[in-house]
Amino acid sequence: MNPHAEDLSFAGRALLDRRKFLSHSATALGSIALTNLLGGDKLLAAENHGPIIDPARPYAPRPPHFPGKAKNVIVIFCAGAVSQLETWDYKPELIKWDGKPLPGGPAVTFQGPAGNLARPQYGFRQYGQTGKWVSDLIPHLAELTDDIAFVHSLTSKSNTHGPAENFLSTGFVLDGFPSLGSWVTYALGSESQNLPSYVSIPDPRGVPQNGANNWGPGFLPAAFQGTTMSSSKPVRHLTAGVSADADRAARSLLQGMNARHLEANPGDSKLAARIASYELAARMQLSVPEINDLSTEPAHVLKSYGADDTTNPDKAAFAKNCILARRLIEKGVRFVQLFNGAYASGGKLNWDGHSDLKGQYDVHAQILDQPAAALIRDLKQRGLLQDTLVVWCTEFGRMPFFQKGAKGRDHNPDGFTCWMTGAGVKPGVSHGRTDDLGQKAVEDIHPLYHFNATILHLLGLDFEKLSFEHNGVRRRLTNVEGKLIPQVLA
Amino acid sequence: MIRAFNQDTPYDRFIKEQIVGDALGQDVATGFLVTASVLLPGQIGRDEASKRLARQDSLDEIVNNLGQTFLGLSVGCARCHDHKFDPITAKDYYAMQALVAGVEYMDREIRTPEADAARTRLKSVKTAIVAIERRLAQLVPLAGAGEVRPMVNARENVERFKPVRARKLRFTIRETNRLEPCIDEIEAFGPDGENIALNAAVTVSGERVTADTHEQRFVNDGNYGNARSWMSDENGKGWVLLDFRQEREIDRVVWGRDRQGKFTDRLATNYVIQVADAAGNWRTVAGSDDRAKFVPGSTTEAGFTTKGLGKEEAAQARRLLAEKNKLLADQRALDAEQKAFAGVFRKPDKVHLLNRGDPEQPKEEVAPALLSVLGDEKLPSDAPEQARREALAGWIADPSNPLTARVMVNRIWQGHFGAGLVQTPSDFGNNGMKPTHPALLDWLAQEFVRAGWSVKHMHRLIMLSETYRQSSAIDVQAARLDADARLLWRFPSRRLDAETIRDAMLAVSGKLNLQMYGRGFDLFDKRGGLSGFKPVEESTPENRRRMIYAHKVRREPEAVFGAFDCPDAGQSTAVRTASTTPIQALNLFNSPFTLQRSADFAERVRTEAGADPAAQVRRAYQLALNREPTAQELAEALPAVRTHGAAVLCRALFNCSEFLFQP
Repeated sequence: MNPHAEDLSFAGRALLDRRKFLSHSATALGSIALTNLLGGDKLLAAENHGPIIDPARPYAPRPPHFPGKAKNVIVIFCAGAVSQLETWDYKPELIKWDGKPLPGGPAVTFQGPAGNLARPQYGFRQYGQTGKWVSDLIPHLAELTDDIAFVHSLTSKSNTHGPAENFLSTGFVLDGFPSLGSWVTYALGSESQNLPSYVSIPDPRGVPQNGANNWGPGFLPAAFQGTTMSSSKPVRHLTAGVSADADRAARSLLQGMNARHLEANPGDSKLAARIASYELAARMQLSVPEINDLSTEPAHVLKSYGADDTTNPDKAAFAKNCILARRLIEKGVRFVQLFNGAYASGGKLNWDGHSDLKGQYDVHAQILDQPAAALIRDLKQRGLLQDTLVVWCTEFGRMPFFQKGAKGRDHNPDGFTCWMTGAGVKPGVSHGRTDDLGQKAVEDIHPLYHFNATILHLLGLDFEKLSFEHNGVRRRLTNVEGKLIPQVLA
Repeated sequence: MIRAFNQDTPYDRFIKEQIVGDALGQDVATGFLVTASVLLPGQIGRDEASKRLARQDSLDEIVNNLGQTFLGLSVGCARCHDHKFDPITAKDYYAMQALVAGVEYMDREIRTPEADAARTRLKSVKTAIVAIERRLAQLVPLAGAGEVRPMVNARENVERFKPVRARKLRFTIRETNRLEPCIDEIEAFGPDGENIALNAAVTVSGERVTADTHEQRFVNDGNYGNARSWMSDENGKGWVLLDFRQEREIDRVVWGRDRQGKFTDRLATNYVIQVADAAGNWRTVAGSDDRAKFVPGSTTEAGFTTKGLGKEEAAQARRLLAEKNKLLADQRALDAEQKAFAGVFRKPDKVHLLNRGDPEQPKEEVAPALLSVLGDEKLPSDAPEQARREALAGWIADPSNPLTARVMVNRIWQGHFGAGLVQTPSDFGNNGMKPTHPALLDWLAQEFVRAGWSVKHMHRLIMLSETYRQSSAIDVQAARLDADARLLWRFPSRRLDAETIRDAMLAVSGKLNLQMYGRGFDLFDKRGGLSGFKPVEESTPENRRRMIYAHKVRREPEAVFGAFDCPDAGQSTAVRTASTTPIQALNLFNSPFTLQRSADFAERVRTEAGADPAAQVRRAYQLALNREPTAQELAEALPAVRTHGAAVLCRALFNCSEFLFQP
């Protein structure tokens, strides 16, 4: 944290000025009228929760609250609600109950009447030193379980995709709150000076159900929204499509105008910030196409990710997105969100297996498994996993029974699995438990608040401190909830 | 809203219209109550606990909005516990909730001259559609006439046959492309074009019910789409029987799987349509036998095809079809004009204090009442719905309410100076910031009420003040003491907000469409849905209106100006952040919008200044920056304008700090 408040650039507190910051502190210190203590800079520094942001360099790296183990994050977000029962949460008991009604089970769930219990649709086997049981659906990811910390007992506040994606990404069910990546980049800035600090990579099949909410800044400054790009879709408005000469001429005129205007208004850092933003934009015009140019990747790398798989274009495209994620991290981008699965489509384009779970999961797992596993291996091999936290998540789980008249499972927010691996994560952990049929979390129950709080913690951020004053409420990612999950910390 | 501010509707009256406009001849104004982003029926689980929570959340948004907007109080904090900083108890919160407990987030039929005119016009549009459909029906090959008819498709199929007398009609499905068959609507038309299936009694072979989505009654309810359809309970099989209750003449049956085109499975690929006369003699009128063989994967093509028609007939059909589509669009627009999303008011539920805000833990019942810190006025527990909102509006708009006027004059001040005298405009509570000029705030509030709550009077007063008219030059000494000029030793400069930049670019380029009022324009290719919004990049007179008329798609930032901290309308934004990002620079420098505006601006400059590049440069500076270029600026711009035309200069001017900052 910047130790001297007088170091703040002066009009530059457009993003977060000293008085706004004071109101942040007010809650922590009770109802003392802090406005009277304007001169008390030492006090300010000690109690400052919000980052001090230089408007000319909103992406500049900023120190965390305390030394964190992770510097960067990749979130692999599987949209549509992956069934815990077909992946990570082995329930042999369910095999015995196959075809029988769940005694005392709900008559109606999210989408309609409940049918009978259904066994896991895939075989399970044990992997690695920990002997973790994982489904045959995802053999590549299964190989990595010795490095992973699973949380099997997560719960969500909504059983509907849109609101639940909001809850996972922003900590609130309703729209309009900042996403995890926005909070992180607001706090920490970025190590990359030529790329956006926060990049969201949509699935080749489309954006997730709740689209931009998952990478939106909410009420945080727009500087901290996720920039969307993928291996197939570049950043919007990267070039103007006019002749290079005309482009140069316009840019040169603009530089002259802005430089003179700054000269005429000395000391106005907002003007300096604007000039800097055009400079960074110009650098991005070079760095973005460069980072997206996978032709520099050797053939064996493309192959290991499955990016050369001509028989499965969706898989190849997702694999390229995975390579892009690694390259972004290599360049110091702080937060990368990598989507697997698109919007609600009866389970065709994402993990929403209501009617024909096995048929659809066979398709989706092909796309996810090899590329995502290759990404984690590649990060590890290059030493990037020491600084990078990789999170795998989904908005909720699925029911142990099929829906009436269907071969798929309905939404289940009461017990599901997400995991993390990499920097600061204790390897080979399986924490929390659902009941024997996998319907509800029964041991070490963790609302997603805890999961998000733990992610912030790994980055050296105190989830109770990281906050922003909005409409009279000091808002934070975990609302008024949250606690850490120490069992997954190394 | 815009009309109200333009007419300078007294603010106390304005508040009443927003809360209880249905009693004041301002039906649409109550849209305020239901502006929040809440979960819509499809987003709420079907279990009762989910429904109760969603209802609580939606009422909470109303209470929050009322409290923040008019009173500058974060009343919502008292939902789970007594407010930690302000004297608002949880009981107060639920008493306020009881005042709006009869409000539902729904469309309401409105009675305005425009809506009534739309009702009249709709009738003639409907008649015209029927007439066109009747003519189109003549251009479909007859069933069973020996011609191969087009392949069956999921959207819409027309079965035309020679007129027959029919008391009953049976649609039998023998095969589908997959799973149980589903039909969104069966229509049966007589030669007069009336759909007599609408009033028919329905029986079906069986059904797989999904409440409110798949039910037998939806097969002839006049509504299209998967969400209003019948689904059989047998794989590949099923039948629907319509009884018209009396013998009628029909010559056409129209049916589809999903006329909205989203679903292509469960399509009847092998079927037969039979009718029976009053005596019960059955005969086949149409079926899949003479349709082209079904090829999976090509099921979404539009219903009407000119295949099998002569050249002249095909041309005629296409013309009619275009006309029909236009009329259908008119019909949708006219339908929409009669309704407004302004809330539906019903008998209020009983309101209980909820322990920790949990709808599953209700405690004692709470009667509607004013916040106790503002007074002890109460209504009986059974007070009628509208009376509750009337009382609420009266309390808020009472001149003796210590908050209402202060909160509003502070917002007006913020609009002019970029920051309010209280810098937390929606939080005047203990946790908000203290006013920088408390006496001024009080005086302005009193003056506001004295002048009949006239907002325009306040604008005039502020803008004629010396404080407003002072320079923005920086005084180093003053800056050291008060960097952000909160004490207003200079006029604080700031970046224009997103909408103002867009409007200013349009205005300067001479293309701003100043048409006021009415339905807004679209920023995206569609209004509804959850994702996949494509920005409209084509420039039309409609989308060159001021940005306040842009139809907001929640959470979807505008493609160019969203990056300029333009709120996504998920949560209301009382103060905008003003960030500076490279994405802003890319958008404003490279977007098609900027290039179009630059071209327009260049054209305007050429028209107004003539062919002389120096005159063009001078005119461009006058229009964009309201001043002459300096000699140096002129010298710099001239070579570029000579080589590339004025558009390069225009593009640079739209991006320069002097254009983007106020003042």
